[in-house]
Amino acid sequence: MNLARKDYLLAAVFGIFALLPLIPGVLPSSFTQHVFLLIFLYASMSQSWNVLGGYCGQVSFGHSVFFGIGAYGAGMAVVHFQTLPWPGVIVGAFAAAAVAMVISYPVFKLTGHYFAIATFAIVEIFNRLFMVWDWVGGALGLDYGLTDTGIANFVWYESKVPYYYGALGLMVIVFSTVRWIERNRLGYLLRAVREGQDASESLGVNSTWTKLTAMGVSAFLAALCGAFYAQYNFRVDPPMVMSLDVSMKFVLITLLGGTGTLWGPLLGAAVLIPLQEYTRAMFGGLGGGLDLIIFGLLIILVVVKQPRGIMGILEDLTRGRKSRKQSEKGGA
Amino acid sequence: MRKFLAIAVVAALVLGALGGVAAAQDKVIKLGTLYPLTGPCATAGQRCKAAVMTAVEVINNAHPDLDVPLAAQEGVMDGYKFELVHADTQGKPNVGKSEAERLFNQEGVWAILGSYNSAVTKPASFVAERKGKIFMCGCSSSAALTERNFKHFFRIAPTDKTESHEFVTFMDWVNEKYDADIETVGLIYENTEFGKHAAEEGKAAADEAGYEVVADVAFSPGATTMDSEVQSLKAADPDVVFGACLGGDYTLWVRTMKKMNWLPKMSLNYCTGYQDPMIAKQLGDDGNYFMGGTGYSPQFADLMPAVAAVEEIYKEITEPSVPFDSDSIKEAAAMFVLAQAIEKAGELDHDKVAKTLHSNTWEAPLTLSGEVAFVPGGQNELAMSYLTQLQGGDYKIIYPPEVANAELVYPMVPWEER
Repeated sequence: MNLARKDYLLAAVFGIFALLPLIPGVLPSSFTQHVFLLIFLYASMSQSWNVLGGYCGQVSFGHSVFFGIGAYGAGMAVVHFQTLPWPGVIVGAFAAAAVAMVISYPVFKLTGHYFAIATFAIVEIFNRLFMVWDWVGGALGLDYGLTDTGIANFVWYESKVPYYYGALGLMVIVFSTVRWIERNRLGYLLRAVREGQDASESLGVNSTWTKLTAMGVSAFLAALCGAFYAQYNFRVDPPMVMSLDVSMKFVLITLLGGTGTLWGPLLGAAVLIPLQEYTRAMFGGLGGGLDLIIFGLLIILVVVKQPRGIMGILEDLTRGRKSRKQSEKGGA
Repeated sequence: MRKFLAIAVVAALVLGALGGVAAAQDKVIKLGTLYPLTGPCATAGQRCKAAVMTAVEVINNAHPDLDVPLAAQEGVMDGYKFELVHADTQGKPNVGKSEAERLFNQEGVWAILGSYNSAVTKPASFVAERKGKIFMCGCSSSAALTERNFKHFFRIAPTDKTESHEFVTFMDWVNEKYDADIETVGLIYENTEFGKHAAEEGKAAADEAGYEVVADVAFSPGATTMDSEVQSLKAADPDVVFGACLGGDYTLWVRTMKKMNWLPKMSLNYCTGYQDPMIAKQLGDDGNYFMGGTGYSPQFADLMPAVAAVEEIYKEITEPSVPFDSDSIKEAAAMFVLAQAIEKAGELDHDKVAKTLHSNTWEAPLTLSGEVAFVPGGQNELAMSYLTQLQGGDYKIIYPPEVANAELVYPMVPWEER
C-alpha cells in the first residue's frame, strides 16, 4: 500500500516535470514565462544552498558571494574579455568553489550561530571588495552591450522562451546532482554531520572534509545560477548579486519549502516567487509597499504555522490521512 | 413582434454603447512610469510619480488658466488621453528591467517615463531601445546614459558633466571676485552608478581647470556612520568639496561634519539631498551655506512664472503636500515634452515621434531654460541649473550673476558661530 502511494507520488512528480517543457506553448504571456523561469532559477539557487544548509546543517548566509562570483564570471567574459560567456561560467563556478572552500576552512571551526554570523561578515567583505575593485567594474558594475542573440552568447532580447528552457535545464542539472548526492555516500555523511558532528566523528566521519565538500559543491552550483542571472539581466553589480538581500533569498526559499528535502526548494520557490512577482505587478505601482507587506505577512504565516515549511505541511497531511485510515481500520 | 423590436433596440443600444466604449478606449495612450516607490529612494520616487500624474492631469483635461503647453485643450491628437500605469523599481536595476519588460509586454504601454536612479534607468531604457520604444528620462543624471547613441532615449536633466563644468567655472569666478584663493578640491560620493560618474566628471573638470583633487572619498549608500569618510576629508582639508550624497546620506554627512567640527570653505553638491527642501528643513541651521546645482525651488517663482499654478495641482496629489523639487519637476517637464512631440508628430509611430523629438525645440516652462532640445543620444542640450546657496533655509541664487538674488557667503560660517 505504501509502495503504491509512493509510486503515485513519483508518477505525479514526473508528470509535472514532463508538462513543464510545454508551458511556453500553452502560456505565451512573457510575464508568466518570466515568473516560471524565476521559479526554476530560485529553486536551483535554494537547492544549491540546501546541500550545505539543509543536508549538512550548516546555515550559511554567505551564498550570494558564490552566486556573485558566478555572475561576475559570465559578466567579465562578455564585457571585459569580449568572449562568449561559457568560459567565464566554467571559470566562475570553479573559482566560487575554490573561494568557498578556502574561506570556509577557518569559518567551519565555528558552529551554530557563530558560523552564521561569520558568513554574514563574508558577504559584507566581498560586497565592499567588489564595490571598489575597478577591474570588475567597481560600483558601476558590468553592463552588457548589444550582442548577437542565440545560444552561443546565451542572450535573447525579444523572447523569454529560450531563457525558460535554460532555467529549466539548470534546474534539472542542479536537482539531479543533489538527488545523486542524497542517494550516495556523501548524502549519508552530510546528514550524519547535520544530526551530530561529534557523534558522527566518533563513528569515523571526517566532518571537516564533509563540510568542505558540501560547501564546494554548493558554491559551484550557486555560481552556475549566478551566471544565468547575469545573462538574463545583462548586468552585474555588487548590490544585485552579492548582497545580504540575495543571500536571504537562498535561505528563505529553502526554509519556506522545507530544508534538507529534495523538493522543498522547488515548493518554496513555487510559492514565494509568484507571490513576489504578482504582488509587485498588482500592487507595486500603488506605492507604500503593499506588495512587500502582503509578501512578508504570508512568509510569517507559513513560518509560524509550520516551521518545517511546505514539505512539513504536506507530510502532516499525508500522516493525517494515514492515521485516519488506520483508525478506520482499527475502529469498529 | 413588439418583444422582438424591444430586444433589437436594447441590443442596438448595448452594441452602440460598447462601440462607444471601444472608440473611447482606442483614444487612449498608455504610458508606464518607473520609479523607486519603495526602498531607500521611495520619497523621491513617489514625488516623481506625482509629478507625471500632475502633467497628465493638465494635458488630459482643459486648464485654460495654466500657461503651459497643451493645457488649454483636452488631450492630444484631437482627443487622445494619456493613461498611466505605475511600476515600482525598488531602486534595483534587475527589478527595473523586468518591470520595464512587463510594462511593454503585458500592460502594452506606448512609452516609459522614469526612473530616477541612473543605475535603474540604464537597463530599463535598454529594454525600450531594443523594442524601438521611447524612454523619457526626467532626472537621472549619469552622463553615461546619453553617451550610448540610443535612438529612442531622451533625458531632460543636465548631466553630472554639465554640473561639474558649472562648478569649476563658478570657482574661477569666486576666486576672481572674492579673491578666495581656492586651490584644492575633495570629492565625497555614494559608491553607485550616479555617485561614481559624478565623482569622475568632477575630478576631470577640476583637473582640467587646474584645481588639485586632494581627497576622493566613496561611501556605501544607506551607511549608518560616515565618521571615517568625514575624517578623511578633514585630514585632506580641501578648500571645496564636491558632494554626491542622496537623501538621508546627505543629512548624515552634514551632521557628521558638525560632530567633527569641520567644514570646507565651500561645498558644492550635485542633484542630491541638498536639493530636497524637506531635507533642508530637517537640517535647519545646519543646512545653511551649503551650495549646489538647483533646477527648481519655490523661491524661483519669479524666474518660472508658469510653475505656481501647476504646482497647486501637484500639491494636491502629494501626500504630505509638498512643492515641486528639482527632480520631480523634471519628470513633469519630460511628460509635457513627450505629449507635445506626439501632438506634433500626429501619429503614434515610435520612430516618427522620436524623430520629431530630435528635430524640434520644445516649449518647457517647467525648466529653467524654458526650452528643451535634444542632441543625438538624447541629451537635452539646453538643460541648465543655477548655483544656489541655502541661506536662512531658503535656496538663494548665487550664480550666474545676472540672475543672482543674494550675495555668496564665503567661506561657510563655522559651526561654532552659527
